[in-house]
Amino acid sequence: MGNFFHRFAGRLAGQYRKMSIQMVIALSFTTVAVVGVVFMGLSMVLRFSNAASALVEDNTQRVLHQVNLNLDSYLRRMMRISDTMYYRVIKSTDLAGGTLSDGMDLLYEENRDALVSIAVFDGGGALVSAAPLSALKRSALPQESGWFRSAMDKMENLHFSAPHVQRLFEDPDYRYRWVVSLSRYVQLTRGGATESGVLLVDMNFAGIEQVCRDVELSNGGYLYLIAGDGELIYHPRQQLIYAGLQQENNQAAASYRDGTRWETFEGGRRQVTVKTVGYTGWKLVGVVPADNLADSSQQPLLFGVFLLLFSAFLLAFLNFRISAYISDPIRRLEQSIKELEAGKENVEIEEAAGCYEVRRLSHSIRSMVSTMRHLMDDIIEQERQKRRSELEVLQAQINPHFLYNTLDSVIWMTEAGRYDEAIQMVTSLARFFRIALSRGKSVIPLKDELEHALHYMTIQEIRFKKKFSTRITAHPGTEGLYTLKLIVQPILENAVYHGMAAAEDDGRITVDARREGDDLIIDVEDNGMGMRPEVAASLLDEDRPEMRTTGSGIGVRNVHRRIRLAFGAGYGLTIFSEPDEGTRVRLRLPALDEEAAAERRREDGP
Amino acid sequence: MRKRRNDFIQLSILVVLGTAVVLSLVLPQLPGRSREVQLLEVSVIFRETDAALWSNTRLGMEQAAGDLGAELRFLTLTRAGDGGEQAEILRREAAGGANALVVVPADPWELSSRLGETAGGCPVVSIESPMEGTGLTVAPDNEALGRKLAETVLEEWTGGMVLLLDTAGESTGVAARLDGAEAVLTAAGVPVLRQTAAPGRLAAGLRVLASVRAAAAIMAFEPYATEQAIRAVEDGGLHQLVYGVGAGTYVVGALERGSAAAVAAWSDYAAGYLAAEGAIRLARREEYTAEPLPFTIVRGEDIYDPDNQKLLFPVTS
Repeated sequence: MGNFFHRFAGRLAGQYRKMSIQMVIALSFTTVAVVGVVFMGLSMVLRFSNAASALVEDNTQRVLHQVNLNLDSYLRRMMRISDTMYYRVIKSTDLAGGTLSDGMDLLYEENRDALVSIAVFDGGGALVSAAPLSALKRSALPQESGWFRSAMDKMENLHFSAPHVQRLFEDPDYRYRWVVSLSRYVQLTRGGATESGVLLVDMNFAGIEQVCRDVELSNGGYLYLIAGDGELIYHPRQQLIYAGLQQENNQAAASYRDGTRWETFEGGRRQVTVKTVGYTGWKLVGVVPADNLADSSQQPLLFGVFLLLFSAFLLAFLNFRISAYISDPIRRLEQSIKELEAGKENVEIEEAAGCYEVRRLSHSIRSMVSTMRHLMDDIIEQERQKRRSELEVLQAQINPHFLYNTLDSVIWMTEAGRYDEAIQMVTSLARFFRIALSRGKSVIPLKDELEHALHYMTIQEIRFKKKFSTRITAHPGTEGLYTLKLIVQPILENAVYHGMAAAEDDGRITVDARREGDDLIIDVEDNGMGMRPEVAASLLDEDRPEMRTTGSGIGVRNVHRRIRLAFGAGYGLTIFSEPDEGTRVRLRLPALDEEAAAERRREDGP
Repeated sequence: MRKRRNDFIQLSILVVLGTAVVLSLVLPQLPGRSREVQLLEVSVIFRETDAALWSNTRLGMEQAAGDLGAELRFLTLTRAGDGGEQAEILRREAAGGANALVVVPADPWELSSRLGETAGGCPVVSIESPMEGTGLTVAPDNEALGRKLAETVLEEWTGGMVLLLDTAGESTGVAARLDGAEAVLTAAGVPVLRQTAAPGRLAAGLRVLASVRAAAAIMAFEPYATEQAIRAVEDGGLHQLVYGVGAGTYVVGALERGSAAAVAAWSDYAAGYLAAEGAIRLARREEYTAEPLPFTIVRGEDIYDPDNQKLLFPVTS
C-alpha cells in the first residue's frame, strides 16, 4: 500500500514537473474546488435525506397519533356502551322479574352505526338477552369462544378480540359480518342472587376499517393495524394478503416497540413506525418504503446536483481565467527570453499586464536585459580597447637600437662626407616613421605598407653596405587594397638579421604582393642561410619562449598573432625554409578594399 | 503547442461540466420522465346476466386497476351463457378502443374460434376456462379441483348414485372439473349420472332433480349452478347433499345449514386481481404468467376456521 502511494506520489511529481504553471494552477484549484463541491454536495444530500427521513417519520407519527386518537375514541365509545349496558341496564335488572331487552334494544338503536350486536350470556354460555337478533345458531357455542373464556378468566378486564366473522345469531338475510368483540365479566341478578355472566358487544369491523382507511402517509406510505400476536386487523391490501398475492411483515412488526425503525422486507428497505393502541394491545404500523422516499426527494436532489455542478462549472471557469491571467504574461516573458537566448536582436520585453508580482517580474527582467545589453556593449568596447591596446603595444615594440644605429650611421656618413647617403638615410627614416605612425590607423593602404618596407630596407642596405639587394613588387590586382600596418617590416628585419648575416654582396630579398581570390598574399623571400623546417615551424609556436632579437624588435610571431587577432585563425603566416637555400615567409590576409578597411577602422575605434 | 493542449484540456473540462449542468437542469423536464402512466381501458365480460356472483372478483379487479392505472368496464349478457352474444360484445369492445379484454367465456370453443376477428389483436384474459388464443387463463387446476371434490364425496359416500350437473357445456373449465370428478367416482365404482342442464333452469327445474331422488349426492361445478342446486334442494325439500363450487353468501349459508356438504373455494378476489393485472400488463406488452389458483375444499363445520373465514367472507366495507 505504502509502495503504491509512493509510486503514485512519484508519478504525480513527474506530471507536475511537466505541466505548465497555468495547468498546475487551473487543475489544482479546480480539483480542490470540485472536491469541495462534492464534499458539500454529499453533506447536503446526507443532511437532506436525514431531514426528509425525519420529516416523514414525524409525519407518520403524527398520522399514527391521530389514527390512534380516532381508534381510541371508537374503542372508548364501545367501552361506554359496555359500561352503560352493565351499570345502567344489567345491574339495575333482576332477571327473575325483569328483562334486559328494553335497555339493550334502546342502547343498540342509539349505536347501531357502530354495533352489530349486544348480547348477555350466563356463566354457562346460555343466551340471556341479545339485540337486535335474539336467536342463536344451532351451531353456536358461546362458552367455547375466546371472548367468553377471556371474560371469565380475567373478570376485572375488558377484552377486545381480533376481528372475526360473527357466528352467533341466526340471520334471515344470511349476513356474515366481520366484528371485533368486546367482552367482559358481569354479575347478573336473578331473584336477588347474583350469578356470573358475560356481556358481549360486537363492534362492526367496518367502523375500525373506516378509521384506518383513507389514511395516507407521506411518500406513498400506508398504515395497517395488527393484534398483539401479529394477526392482521386492518390492512389496505388485506384481501391480497389473505389470497397470498402479497406479503406483509406483520409478525415482525408485532415484536417492535413503539417508535420508528428501518426494516428490510422482500428486498426493500422501509421506514416502519409503530404505535400501540390503548386497552387492546393492538398496534398501528405505518410503513414508508425507502424507494418512495428517494422518489419524492429526487427533484430537490436533482436541483441540488444542478447547483453543485453549476458551482463546479463556475469555479472551473474562474480558475482557468485566473490561471491564464497569471500565466499568460509569464509565458510571453518566457518567449521573449527564449528569443534572447536564440540571439535575436532587438527583442522587446513588453511591460506585462497581469498581477503585481508578474508586472514586477517583467519590470525586473526588462531592467536586467537592459543592464545586460549595456554590460555586453561595455564588454565589447573593452575587448575592442584591449585589442587596440595590444596592437598598439605590438606596433610600439620598435627596438630603440634600430633608431640609435640608424642615427649613428647618419652621423658617421656625415662625418665621412657622404652627404647624399646621409640625406637618403634620413629621408627614408623620416618616411619610415611617418608611415609607422599613419595618424594612429591600424589599417593602411598596401602601397604605404610596401613603401614602409622599402624605406626600411633602404636604411638597412646603407647600414649593411650593400651586402644585399631588395626588390619589392605589387602585382596587378592589389591596387587599392589595404592591409594591417607594420606586418612586412618585421619579416624583413628577420630576413636581414638572420638570413643576410653571412651574405657578401650577393644577398637578395624580395617582397611580392598579389591577390588570390579574396585573400591578399605577401611573400617575403631571402636567399640567406635558411633553417631546418622544424625550426621554421617552431617560430610560430605560441608556447615557444619569447626571444628578443636584434633588428626592429617586432618578432615574426607577433605579426602572426596580430593578423590572427584581427582576422581570425584562417589567416596569418606560413614559413617555408631550407638550410642554405633561403626562407620564404608568406603572409595571408583578407583582401580589404577601401570600404572594408573603413569598416575595420570603425570597429577598432578612433 | 503546450498552450494549445492546455486550452484543449480546459475547454474539455468546461464542456463536460457545462453538459452536466444542462443535463441536470433538463433531465427532470424530459417528457419521458414526467409522463403519467397511460390509463388503460379494460372490458370485463361475464357470461351471466348479472355479475353479482362475481362481486369479489370485481373487487379484486378494481384493486388491480387502481394499482396499475386502468379503467374497468363490466358487461353482462342479456341471456346467460349466450356465446354468440358474448363474442359480439367482445368484438364491439375491441373495436371501441378497449386496450384489453377479460372474459368469463360462455362457450370457449366458439369464442376461441372467433377470437381473431373479435379481439382484433387486443389481449384477452380468460377466467375459469382455458381458451386458445388468449394471453392468459386465470383459473384453478380445474381437473384437480373436480377430482378433489369427488374425493370429498367419496369420504362420505355410503352408496347410491351421484348426480353430476353439467351446466357449462363440454368444452369449458367447468367440464374439465366435471370430467375429473367423474373419473374419480367411476374409478371408485360409484354410479354417476351426468345430467346436462342450463344453470338458469335449475332452481325451477325440480323435475330434473325429482327424477333423481335416488341420488345420494349432487355435484355442481360452477358457482351459479351450485347455488341453484342448493336452492332446488332446499326449496324442494330434497335430502341429497350438494357438493359444489364457489363461496357466495348463499352457498356458505347452505354449508352452515347443512344443505351443502362441501364446496371447492378459491379466492375470487385473487382471481379478479390476477386477471385484471394480467390484462393490463399484456396490454402494456409486458411478460405475464399466472400459476393456477390454489383452492380449498371447505366443509360446513370448517367455515369458521380463521383461514376459511378469510377465504369465504371477504373483508369489505
